[in-house]
Amino acid sequence: MKSSYTRLPPRSAYLHIPFCKRRCFYCDFPVVPLGDSASGENGPGSQSIQSYLKLLLREIDLSPSGPALSTVYIGGGTPSLLSPLQIGLLLEHLRNKFGVLCGAELTMEMDPATFDKDSLEGFLNVGINRVSLGGQSFDDEMLAKIGRAHRKQHLIEACSLLNEAMKHGYLKSWSLDLIQNLPGQHLESWRQQLNQAVETCVPHLSVYDLLVEPGTVFAWREGRGELALPEERSAEEMFLLTSLTLRQAGFARYEISNYSYPGHISRHNRVYWNGSGWWGFGQGATSSPWGQRMARPRTREAYRKWLDIQDNQGPDSSLFLEKASRSNLDELILLGLRCREGVDLKNLAFHIGWDEMECKKYLPSLEQRWEVALEQGWLKKTGQRYQLTDPYGMNLSNQVLVEMMIWWDSLPPDVVDSPKFEELQCTFAD
Amino acid sequence: MTNVPVNRLRNFCIIAHIDHGKSTLADRLLQETGTVSSRDMQEQFLDNMDLERERGITIKLQAARMNYVASDKEKYVLNLIDTPGHVDFSYEVSRSLQACEGALLVVDASQGVEAQTLANVYLALENDLEIIPVLNKIDLPGSDPERIKDEIEAIIGLDTSNAISCSAKTGLGVNEILQAVVERIPPPKDDINEQTKALIFDSYYDPYRGVIVYFRVISGKISVKDKVLLMASKKSYELDEIGIMAPDQSKVDQLHAGEVGYLAASIKAVADARVGDTITLFNSPASEPLPGYTEAKPMVFCGLFPTDADRYPDLREALEKLQLSDAALRYEPENSSAMGFGFRCGFLGLLHMEIVQERLEREYDLDLIVTAPSVVYKVNLIDGDILMVDNPATLPDPQKRDSIEEPYVRMEIYAPHEYNGTLMGLCQDRRGEFVDMKYITTERVTLIYELPLAEVVTDFFDQMKSRTKGYASMEYHLVGYRSNELVRLDILINSEKADPLTTIVHREKAYDVGKGLVEKLKELIPRQQFKIPLQASIGSRIIASESISAMRKDVLAKCYGGDISRKKKLLQKQAKGKKRMKAMGKVDVPQEAFMAVLKLNQ
Repeated sequence: MKSSYTRLPPRSAYLHIPFCKRRCFYCDFPVVPLGDSASGENGPGSQSIQSYLKLLLREIDLSPSGPALSTVYIGGGTPSLLSPLQIGLLLEHLRNKFGVLCGAELTMEMDPATFDKDSLEGFLNVGINRVSLGGQSFDDEMLAKIGRAHRKQHLIEACSLLNEAMKHGYLKSWSLDLIQNLPGQHLESWRQQLNQAVETCVPHLSVYDLLVEPGTVFAWREGRGELALPEERSAEEMFLLTSLTLRQAGFARYEISNYSYPGHISRHNRVYWNGSGWWGFGQGATSSPWGQRMARPRTREAYRKWLDIQDNQGPDSSLFLEKASRSNLDELILLGLRCREGVDLKNLAFHIGWDEMECKKYLPSLEQRWEVALEQGWLKKTGQRYQLTDPYGMNLSNQVLVEMMIWWDSLPPDVVDSPKFEELQCTFAD
Repeated sequence: MTNVPVNRLRNFCIIAHIDHGKSTLADRLLQETGTVSSRDMQEQFLDNMDLERERGITIKLQAARMNYVASDKEKYVLNLIDTPGHVDFSYEVSRSLQACEGALLVVDASQGVEAQTLANVYLALENDLEIIPVLNKIDLPGSDPERIKDEIEAIIGLDTSNAISCSAKTGLGVNEILQAVVERIPPPKDDINEQTKALIFDSYYDPYRGVIVYFRVISGKISVKDKVLLMASKKSYELDEIGIMAPDQSKVDQLHAGEVGYLAASIKAVADARVGDTITLFNSPASEPLPGYTEAKPMVFCGLFPTDADRYPDLREALEKLQLSDAALRYEPENSSAMGFGFRCGFLGLLHMEIVQERLEREYDLDLIVTAPSVVYKVNLIDGDILMVDNPATLPDPQKRDSIEEPYVRMEIYAPHEYNGTLMGLCQDRRGEFVDMKYITTERVTLIYELPLAEVVTDFFDQMKSRTKGYASMEYHLVGYRSNELVRLDILINSEKADPLTTIVHREKAYDVGKGLVEKLKELIPRQQFKIPLQASIGSRIIASESISAMRKDVLAKCYGGDISRKKKLLQKQAKGKKRMKAMGKVDVPQEAFMAVLKLNQ
């Protein structure tokens, strides 16, 4: 039986704004530091911002079209360095190209100390209805140690501005980012951080683990033996504490590093994990409208040249349903297991075009590899659906995923090859 | 040039310590005689196995025939027979010496005589070879030819008044060496009309032509039309071709006494044409074989297991193929509940073991678990039987044993005298018994100890090198078995016995080794999802224990659109690492852990 494969067009778009006041010590994103007094329209760096926005708008205009968007995410960098007018212009181009559904989730990343009551109102007026706040820590000393430009006081002010806006119904939801496992952090100080976060009444939290990426200040310090990260045991305890504390405060861990109150799950981020497609625009941005991910050049010059090529030869082939390759089963499992609802193996296999016979032939060996995880209680199985348990399963998710990767590697090459477009009956539902 | 009169033949070899420039000198001789043009010259032409070139050592012997016009304007044929330079291969060395009338003793003019050189020189003297001392690397600023000459005279008792100074690197003195080979090395005995006897001094396996045998005709002649008989293996063959190495193989019709050549006769495995065997004619066989043939005996054993159990058949096939070209390699199937199916393999020594392991991984693309090397124990059972045990895990229970004997070697270590203390300490640590200490010059000393072979096949060599900054060299040979207070030390991982980690140790060292082993394993085995107890036991008595705590966090905490590819790569890397580990019960054990016993001193 060939699956009747329906590939739905993307309903999401990601826009990358690479500007920041400073580059944080842990950051390896494609960002352009503009200095602490930077601002979008007339401050220092405004020319750089304006010329970048021209490129970004050009890319949106060049893009193949699609149905109206249900989520838009303006990330960075620090998008709140832009003026409301500039954000409005970006949204307008998206409206012209795709349209934006009423009730769409329009998220923008903001940093404390880059906006005030007026500019927040401005952003909300042009359509933003969700904010992701890069708070990272409530500890001044820690904020300085990780190279952030804001301080605790700025963060608390930002939180109350956002709460205020939500109370009046202009803002539908907002989220706070926190980083755990920072140098010098220990269980007690982390407990305080979590409690302060809960006390802000934020309805959504993203809690990330510090990852020391090559090329960052932290990597350099680590190389010199000057980065004292928490001990493994301590890191484990903090990780566990996060899940337990936030659960007690009424949050649901709906993804490995994301927690929300009922009704406040980020719709945009779920697109990444459930295998749906998204458009991507901007320097360093990744798009995957049909399942083939494509990362744009990370520097301004290279991005400009890439755009020129798009201009001359037409948009990249990954942006067209007929030409893009597909994401494969291993990736769908890898991403799907991150979410609370987990994955239905057979369903996913059908999704990439396996038939009943292939499922029977290949899926049992994966289930066999997962037996230990089931036994240990990290994985739970309901029907065909596998879910990581919270907290233990999610905290050890790599162990489950590595078994899956080994399984994937053991399959015959023709099975793991990207599914081909021709083999699937596609219906373009618009 | 064919049909050379016997008195125009010279057969010689080069004796040198590793790094003293043997291969470079050989290259230079080939170039100087025009045997190999400079254009075709690959560095170290004679070492043509990749591994040899990488390690700078000679494993397999090679030979080359050179034409040389001496100062008397006569044409001579010089056969250079290369010798392997490692203690594991001393039997091969002795055979290749037997194929020669003379030897160049190459000594680094800045370093002096080393143990290995000495052992081979004595072998050459026993074989009655004419020895020409050559001082190499005299172009180096630190060279001191006069001091080294004195040393050679003092240690070996060779007259060095006509020693030749050379630099294989620059070519200085190379012609003088060739001239000396002609003048000072005697020609072979002219025994063309005697019964045909030829000595096999090397062989290798060629997948298309079967085994290629390198031999020296000692007496009589061999023609391509002959049917030959190998006297030790008692097999007979019609010859496909015979020829000379110039240095590439080139066919001839006949070879006579004194000449060196190769033959191909569709021989299936090198075990059928072993080094040291005598070739004679099937129709008129010699009455006696040449003396000195012995079968190479493995001294060191270890278990080889594929990390991926599905590749057991591939490993078997690879060993079968390797054995075609390596007569000293032994293997038999071994299986344990912990490791699944694998092989127990026997080797001449540690280097031989490493080479085989590396060839299996490189040429056959196998991921292997190699267990720590063991020697062969002689177990005297209560009922009077004697059992030879090469796998510690199969040592019978104490109530069945009367005593255990282990092989001992006589070890000679040469080193500058300031290292006496540390070297004696090392030998004491390894249960050595002091035999003698001799000052060979005012600065250099020979230490002689008798040591259990089991202590030598661990990291003895590495320790000796590191304690003496690389200045010491060693040489040993087996002297027999001795009874000792030995016990079997078992290791339990997650309460399951790990056979491949079982060792046989002296009772007095058991506690330290057991404690060291579990501590080392704790370092080497990564944390897993559950707590893993590690124990060392003698019989049912636990003598040391440790545990690895459970891992509670292994997660990619952030994963969005742009990171997916990168995060996937991290997981792929982790999966690859896991695949290289061996699952013992529920525990994944990395390769290095099986060698833990060798790493106790690090």
